[in-house]
Amino acid sequence: MSVFNLEALLALLGLFVLLLEAFVPSVSSKALAGICMAGVAGVLVLLVTVAGGQDALPAFIGAYHQLDTLAIFYKAFALVITFLVLWLTLEAAPYLSKFTLDGKLGEMFSLPLFVCVGMMWMASAKDLVTVFVSLELVTVSFYVLVAYTRKSALALEAGVKYLILGALSTGVLVFGVAWVYGATGALSFEGITKAVQVGGVNKTALLFGVSFLLAGLGFKVAAVPFQMWVPDVYQGASTPTTVFLSVGSKAAGFAVLTRVIDALTVSGSMVRQEVITVLSIAGAVTVVVGSLPALFQTNVKRLLAYSSISHAGFLLLALAARDSVRVDLAPGGTVAFYLATYLPMTVLGFAALIQMRLNGRGEELDDFKGLAQKSPTLAFLITLAFASLAGLPLTAGFFGKMWVMLGLVDQQLWFALVCAIIGAAAGFYYYFRVILAMFTPEESTEPVRMGALARGVCVVLGCTIIVLGVYPKPLQMLLAKVPVAGKNATGH
Amino acid sequence: MPPAPDLVTQSAPLMNILLFLPLAVALVILIGRKLLGVNVCVFLAVASSAICLLCAIMNLGVVGSETIRLMPFLILDGGKLLNIGIDVLHDGQSAGMMFIVTLIGFLVQVFSVKYMEEDDAKPRYFGALSLFLFSMTGIVLADNLVMMFVFWELVGLSSFLLIGHWFQKPSAAEASKKAFLTNRIGDFGFMIGILLLFGVNHGDVTFAGLKESLLMGPLKATSEGQGWLMTAAVLCLFMGAVGKSAQMPLHVWLPDAMEGPTPVSALIHAATMVAAGVYMLVRISFLVAASEMGATWIAGIGGITALMAALMATQQGDIKRILAYSTLSQLGYMVMAVGLVGMGGEAMGGNAGHPAMFHLYTHAFFKAMLFLGAGAVIYSCHHEQDIWKMGGLAKHMPVTTFTFAVGTAALIGVPGLSGFVSKEAILGVAWEECKWLFAAGAFTAMLTAFYMTRLFIVAFLGKARSDSSSHAMEVRLPMLVPLLVLAFLSVFSAYHFMEAPLKAMAVHGHGEGHYTVMGISIAALLIGVIAAFVIYRGREKDPLNIKLFANKFYFDEVYAVLIKVFQDGLAWLVTGVEHAVVDGLVARLPAAMVAKVGQKARLLQAGQLQGYTFLLGVGVLLAIYVIVFVLPGVGH
Repeated sequence: MSVFNLEALLALLGLFVLLLEAFVPSVSSKALAGICMAGVAGVLVLLVTVAGGQDALPAFIGAYHQLDTLAIFYKAFALVITFLVLWLTLEAAPYLSKFTLDGKLGEMFSLPLFVCVGMMWMASAKDLVTVFVSLELVTVSFYVLVAYTRKSALALEAGVKYLILGALSTGVLVFGVAWVYGATGALSFEGITKAVQVGGVNKTALLFGVSFLLAGLGFKVAAVPFQMWVPDVYQGASTPTTVFLSVGSKAAGFAVLTRVIDALTVSGSMVRQEVITVLSIAGAVTVVVGSLPALFQTNVKRLLAYSSISHAGFLLLALAARDSVRVDLAPGGTVAFYLATYLPMTVLGFAALIQMRLNGRGEELDDFKGLAQKSPTLAFLITLAFASLAGLPLTAGFFGKMWVMLGLVDQQLWFALVCAIIGAAAGFYYYFRVILAMFTPEESTEPVRMGALARGVCVVLGCTIIVLGVYPKPLQMLLAKVPVAGKNATGH
Repeated sequence: MPPAPDLVTQSAPLMNILLFLPLAVALVILIGRKLLGVNVCVFLAVASSAICLLCAIMNLGVVGSETIRLMPFLILDGGKLLNIGIDVLHDGQSAGMMFIVTLIGFLVQVFSVKYMEEDDAKPRYFGALSLFLFSMTGIVLADNLVMMFVFWELVGLSSFLLIGHWFQKPSAAEASKKAFLTNRIGDFGFMIGILLLFGVNHGDVTFAGLKESLLMGPLKATSEGQGWLMTAAVLCLFMGAVGKSAQMPLHVWLPDAMEGPTPVSALIHAATMVAAGVYMLVRISFLVAASEMGATWIAGIGGITALMAALMATQQGDIKRILAYSTLSQLGYMVMAVGLVGMGGEAMGGNAGHPAMFHLYTHAFFKAMLFLGAGAVIYSCHHEQDIWKMGGLAKHMPVTTFTFAVGTAALIGVPGLSGFVSKEAILGVAWEECKWLFAAGAFTAMLTAFYMTRLFIVAFLGKARSDSSSHAMEVRLPMLVPLLVLAFLSVFSAYHFMEAPLKAMAVHGHGEGHYTVMGISIAALLIGVIAAFVIYRGREKDPLNIKLFANKFYFDEVYAVLIKVFQDGLAWLVTGVEHAVVDGLVARLPAAMVAKVGQKARLLQAGQLQGYTFLLGVGVLLAIYVIVFVLPGVGH
C-alpha cells in the first residue's frame, strides 16, 4: 500500500458512510461516528506505518504529488483534527441534532472525511491546479457543514456569508493563479521557483498575480483585511465545525501558503523582498486587529474567533521571518510546529464550550463563573488551554510564539515585532479574563458533569499541551528535517 | 586509612539512592497514602531512611573529591551556554554531612513513630519528612550553587509543610507562613549572589570552577580589581545563610517554628536544615577568605546573633523555645567561626576540617538529643511545654533525665564531652583573629551554661508544680532508643574512634592561646552553672524578670511596625500605580480608544454581507496597490 492511496481509501469511506446514512435509516449517529472515527484512526495508523518506508512514487502521480516531511506532517495533522472533530460532533450531538432538519446528523460525519481528503491532497500538492482543486473540495464541504444546523438562524446566516465570500475569494485565487501562470509560464512550485530566479519575467505582472494569490489564500487563513467573515461564521456554525474551520482549514491554508511563499522567496528571487514585506505587514496588522476587539469580547466563542485571527497573524509572521538563524526550523517548520501546538489548545478550548452547552450553560463569560468549584477538572483543563493560547511558558503555546519573535529579531522586522508583542500581551489579558471568571466564586450549586470519553480525550489534549510545552524537542527534530527549497538555497 | 580512589567512582549508585530514594518514597506516600494505608506509609519512610543511612555510612572515609553527574538539568546550547546538572560533589565534607543528616533523620523517624502515634495525618507527616530528606540531601551533595539553590527552596517548602503540620492551629499556620516568608528574603539575596558570580565567572557556578577561577581566572581579577563586587557577592550569598540559619536580623522565624511537632524541631530546626546555611558558607569559605570585609561582616553578625539569642534564652519559659534560642546562639557561633576563619584569609572545608563544620557536627547530635528529650517530656506531660509547670521529672523519667543531662552537659561544654572540643576550636580561632568576638563568645558560653542549667533545674529537679508533671511516666522503648543513641554520640562524637572516618568534620592542632582559651571557657562554664544553681534552686517561679530579654529585644514588634510602614506603604503605592498606570494608561485608555475605534469598526462588522463583500474587494485592491505599486519602489 502506498501513501497516496490513503486519500482514495478515505474518500471511499466517506461515500460509503454517505450512502449508508441515506439508505439505511436505522443506523444511529453513534454507529456512523464510530465507523468514521475508526476509519480515520485506521488511515492514520497506515500513514504512520507506511510513511517511513516510502521512497519513490509511480510516475503517473509523481508529477502532482509529493511526499516530503511537510506533506506527511500535514496529512497526519488533517487526520488528527478530523478525528477530533468527529469526536466533538458526537459529543455535541444531543443539542446539535435539535437544529437539523431531520433531527439527525448524518452528513456531519461523512463531510469531514471529504474535507480531510482535500486537506491531505493539498499537503502533497506540487502545483497550483492541484492546490486549487483540493482547496475547493475542502471549501465546498465546509459550505455545507457551516450551514448544517439549519434551524439555527445564526448558522444559516453564517452559511450564506461563508458561501458568498468564499466563492468570491475562490475567484480571486483563480485569477491570481492565472496571472502567475501568465507571468512565469509555470504552474508547479518548482517551475515558479526557477522562473523567479532566472529572470526574464515581467515583474509587474507577476506581482499583480501574487497579490491576488495572497488575497485568496489570505481569506482562507483569515488574514487581515480578509478576516471580517471570521467572527460571524465561527459564532454561527456549530462548534465542531468552528473547530474544523479554525484548525483544519487554517492548517490547510498555511500548508499551501508555505509552499507558495517558499517558491516565491527563494534566494535570488526577484519578488523576495516584496513578498516578505507584505507578509510581515499583513501578519503584524492581523495580530493587532485580531487581538484588540477580543479585549472586550464577552462571548467566549467569538473570543476564540478573534484569537484565531491573531494566531493567523503570528503564523504569517513566522513565514515572513525567512532568515531565522536561532531556531533549527525553516519558516515552514516553525509554522508546522505552531499549528501542532495550536491544535490541542484550540480543540480543548472549544471542547470546553461544548461541555458548557451540554450542562445547560451558555458561551458567555458569565457562564464560566464559578466553574472551578463545580468541575475542577474542566476548569483546570480550560485554564491550561487558555494559558497555552496566551503563550505561557511550560505550555505548548510558548515556544511557537517565542520562535516567531526570535525570527522577527533575526530578520530585523522591528515593526512586526512590536505588533507581535502587543498582540501577545493583549492575549494574556483576554485569555486570562476567562480563567479569572472560572475562579470567581458563584452562589449557584448546579454541578457540571463530564462524560468519561470527554474527560479522557480532554485529559489527553491537556497532557499534550504540557508535554509540548516542556519537551518540544522531538517534534522540533521531526520538523527540522523539512526540506524547504528556499532554506536550502539561502545557505550562503 | 586506606586510600580508595575506586570508592569514589563506585559511589554513583549510592548517590542515586541517597538522593532519589527519599523523593520516590515522598511521592509514593503523598500520592498513594489513601491506597497504602497508614502503616505501609510509615514503614516505607522509616525503611527508606534506614537504607539512606546505610548508604551514607558506606560513603564515609572518602579521600579526595570527585564530581558525579547524576542527571543533566539545565543545559543550553549543548552545554556551552549553560551547563548545570544534578551533580554530586563527593568529598569529606558532603560525606560527613550526609552521615549526620541521615543518622538524625533515621532516629527522628523512629522517634516519631511513637510520638505521632495519635496523629490523624501520619502519612502526610512522614511523606513531608521524606521530602525534607530529599531536599536536604540535594543541598549537601550539590556541586554547584544553582543546584544548591533549587534544593534550598525545596527545603524551605518541606520546612513550611512540617511547621504547619497542625495547620488547624492558627499559630502553626502563622508560624509556617512566617518561616517561609522570612526565608524568602534571605533567598533573594542568595539568588542575587549566585547571579553575580554567574556573571563574573561566565556562567560557571560549580564550587570547583569558582575555586579555580579565584586562583587564576575572572574571579581573581575581580577580587583584586573590584573588591567591592566580591564583597557584594559574598554578602549576598551570606544573606541566604542569614535566612536559613536564622541569623540576625532574620532570626525571628526559628522560635516560632517550634509550633511544628517536636521531632521536626529536632531534625530540621536544630540539627540539619538550619545548619544548611553554615554548610553552604563552609562550602564557599574560599570566597569568604577572598573578601576581608565580607568575612568581618559575617563574623560580626554571627557573634551578635550568638550573644543576643543567648540573652533571650535566659528569660524564656517554654522548653522548646529555650532550646530554639540556644540553637540560634549556637548557629551564631558557627557563622562567627566561618567569618573568623575567612578573616584569617584561610580557605578550609572540603576535605580540610573547619571549626564551623566541627561545631555543626557535634551540635547536631546533642541538640537533636535535647529536642527529642524535650519531646519525650512534652509527650509525658500531656503537651505541657512550660518549664514552670514541670519540675521533679527526674523521679518519674530517670532515663530521659539522664540523657537530657548528658545533652545539656555537651551543649554547655563540660570538658571531655564533644561540645567542649568543638567550642574550644571556635574560641581558639576567635582568640587569634578578634578579641572582641572572643569576649562575646566567652560571655555567650557563660550564658549558655546559665540558661541550660536553669532549664534543667526547673524542669527536672525539685517538686512537681502541676498535675501533668506529677503524673508523667517514662516513655517507651522506641522513643528511648534514639535518645540513648544520641546521648552516646553527644559524649563521644569528638573522640578519635568516631571522628576518624569523619576526619573532614574535625579540626586538629591548637592555636597559641590554647590554654588561656581553655581556662577562660571553663571559668565561664563554672560561673554560669553556679549562678543558675544559686538563683533557681527550689524556686516556684522565675525570680528574674528582664522584660527586654523576655520580649526578645522587641524584634517582632519592630518588624510589625516596619511592615506596617513600608509594606503597607509600598502596597499603597503599588495600588496607586496599578490604578493610574496599569489600569488607566495601559488598559483603560487604549480600551477607550479601541472601544471608539471598535464602535466605528463595528459598523463595518455589522453582519452586512454587502459590506463584507465590499471590504473584501477593498482588501484585494489594497493588496494590489501595496504589492505592485508601493513595495517595488521601496526597495530601490
